[in-house]
Amino acid sequence: MPKSKKFNIPMGPQHPALKEPEGFSVALKGEKILGVEIRLGYNHRGIEKACEQNTYIQDLYLIERVCGICSHTHATCFVQAVEEIAGLQVPRRGLYLRTLIAELERIHSHLLWLGVAGHEIGFDTLLMYSWRDREIVMDTLALLTGNRVNYGMNTIGGVRHDITPAQSKEVLKAIDLLEERTKYYIEVATQETTIIKRLSGVGVVSYDDALRLEAVGPTGRASGLDRDVRRDDPYAAYGELSFNVITDNHCDVFGRTIVRVKELMESYKMIRQIIKNMPDGPIAVKAPRKIPAGEAVSRYEAPRGEDVHYVKANGSEMPERVKVRAPTLANIQVVKHMLKDRYLADMPIVIAAIDPCFSCTDRMINIEYDSNKKSEVINWATLHEYSLKWHRDRGVDFSKLNKQFQRRMSI
Amino acid sequence: MHPIKKIVTWARIKSPWILHFNTGACNACDIEIIAALTPRYDIERFGVILKGTPRHADVLVCSGPVTKQIEDRLVRIYEQMAEPKFVVAVGTCSCSGGVFKDCYNIKGGIDTTIPVSAYIPGCPASPKAIIDGVVKLLASLEDNESKAKATKEEKVAGGK
Amino acid sequence: MSQEEKVKESLVNKFGYLEGKVNIPRPRRIFLDTDLKNLADIILYAKDELRFNHLLTITGLDEGENLSFIYHLAHDSGLILNIKVSVLKSSPVLKTITPFFVSAEIYERELVDLFGAEVEGLPAGNRYPLTDDWPQGEFPLRKDWHPAKE
Repeated sequence: MPKSKKFNIPMGPQHPALKEPEGFSVALKGEKILGVEIRLGYNHRGIEKACEQNTYIQDLYLIERVCGICSHTHATCFVQAVEEIAGLQVPRRGLYLRTLIAELERIHSHLLWLGVAGHEIGFDTLLMYSWRDREIVMDTLALLTGNRVNYGMNTIGGVRHDITPAQSKEVLKAIDLLEERTKYYIEVATQETTIIKRLSGVGVVSYDDALRLEAVGPTGRASGLDRDVRRDDPYAAYGELSFNVITDNHCDVFGRTIVRVKELMESYKMIRQIIKNMPDGPIAVKAPRKIPAGEAVSRYEAPRGEDVHYVKANGSEMPERVKVRAPTLANIQVVKHMLKDRYLADMPIVIAAIDPCFSCTDRMINIEYDSNKKSEVINWATLHEYSLKWHRDRGVDFSKLNKQFQRRMSI
Repeated sequence: MHPIKKIVTWARIKSPWILHFNTGACNACDIEIIAALTPRYDIERFGVILKGTPRHADVLVCSGPVTKQIEDRLVRIYEQMAEPKFVVAVGTCSCSGGVFKDCYNIKGGIDTTIPVSAYIPGCPASPKAIIDGVVKLLASLEDNESKAKATKEEKVAGGK
Repeated sequence: MSQEEKVKESLVNKFGYLEGKVNIPRPRRIFLDTDLKNLADIILYAKDELRFNHLLTITGLDEGENLSFIYHLAHDSGLILNIKVSVLKSSPVLKTITPFFVSAEIYERELVDLFGAEVEGLPAGNRYPLTDDWPQGEFPLRKDWHPAKE
């Protein structure tokens, strides 16, 4: 950076003169960000078009792969719309099973996020331990559905796998263990001064801005925006479960961390209720191959926020139109606001805090310097290194906490 | 030069440095790749280290089908790696385009754009499969190295 | 009277032309059809008076001679109001609703790239989601568009 003579951001790997579709274009004044432009579309695979050329069941498998972290989210959201159009009533047991997988997915996703956030600020021990805990959830999901990711749990009209009493016991055991560990994550997140110092006041979005810019999920809830599709527009079995919607008033990355770890505790609560109150009966109803003409809007509270699907059927075996609006698309528009007037070194954690799909962050960053009108292109790894060093130079050091964490969690 | 080459190859086999690149994937494979680095699977015990830049990497680990936006960048990253270099395609999408094969913004699997040394199928490829694939690649490097050695010895013995 | 019915009544009272055009297929879902020229008035009313202050997304549809667009607005209580307008495919001109909803920008860009809509008043910015070198006049989500066989 021009101001500091000690540290220079190395160029590349791409030569800036080559035309490069940068993900982020940042205008800098000294070390502060004047403005950010975001370019999306790298993951545009043309799924919506493909849906029109495949049957509903084929689309179920395609839609599941919109995002590998929220696969059940997209599959369920889609299947709900189709079931609504076809007038299918999923049996209660099927809905409970869907919800069970949904909450397990939320847990794996939030633990994943915790690790990624730890990595972005230099607290790598957190990455190792949260992902180790996450393996417990992956095992549970594999036990119930046969796969660690892309569970294939749904079918039109219900779910494909039932749960045995032995499996239920395993789920409860896993939840008990995770709850113990999560309590420590909450303690660390809310009481460790290094973390609080590092995350507070970063990526600030006031309540009014969160409302105006329409932040969804934990990003919005951390600014006090009290919206959660599970409570507001209940789907699956959520209408019958008792849970709290976690909001926070910090309005920053610290708040987003608090919301996610507390949501883990709510998920454990919900899973216990689901297992305890699991209704008897079938897990699916038979669905027709041809879905009658009609349309439906389906919503789902993904770990990242609100997911919206619109489906239009025309009486044939293939949908007329499938529209997907994933939560990251809504939240990434808030990122521009979060980064204005902030330090470049905060960019990695601010973007990580909206919990975007990885590929959104594996982008090139084009930086324009106000002072000398030069510009250069750096990659995410370089920005990450810069961010860690910048904060270390200002006293943020996780080495002590790393050791303490390791001691405590090695039980 | 030969003794140095041996050391370099041994280092490469014993601890390949990896660059991970997502070319349009849904992230499932990316997360399984990173899960392979975490304690449960711990690919670091093989000396595998994730690096940030192509210039330091021996192996390019790709996930995802190649989208039109990413094509140029993938080629450039490949070109910036020093020889010898290897490419691993992780996941069914990287191998063949997967479920996205005929989508309009997708070119196909990784091998439509750059040469691939190893294919690891799966949707997503599980960490165990990824480790298996990496180990096979390392073994084939060792194999090539000993084949090259054997050929040379043959040549020397045959008096060519 | 259910909340959905109340919303329907308010809309029809305010905009007489909506009589018979507002449909409640199930709890928390309201669909209505209207002409493009009424869109801004209805959105403003729905947002400010009826508190539908969350834009979910805008869905484009290819309906043969027409292109249709559904604006999905949500209320904190979980209700979704879906406002559908249609324009001729030969002249698919829309006015931006970014003055009401900042987040509309990216959803409108999608309509431009994938359906060939022209959105008046859209702020300058990068296109989404297609590449800069995508051929002009090719709109993937139109029904008559097929990827070229390579």
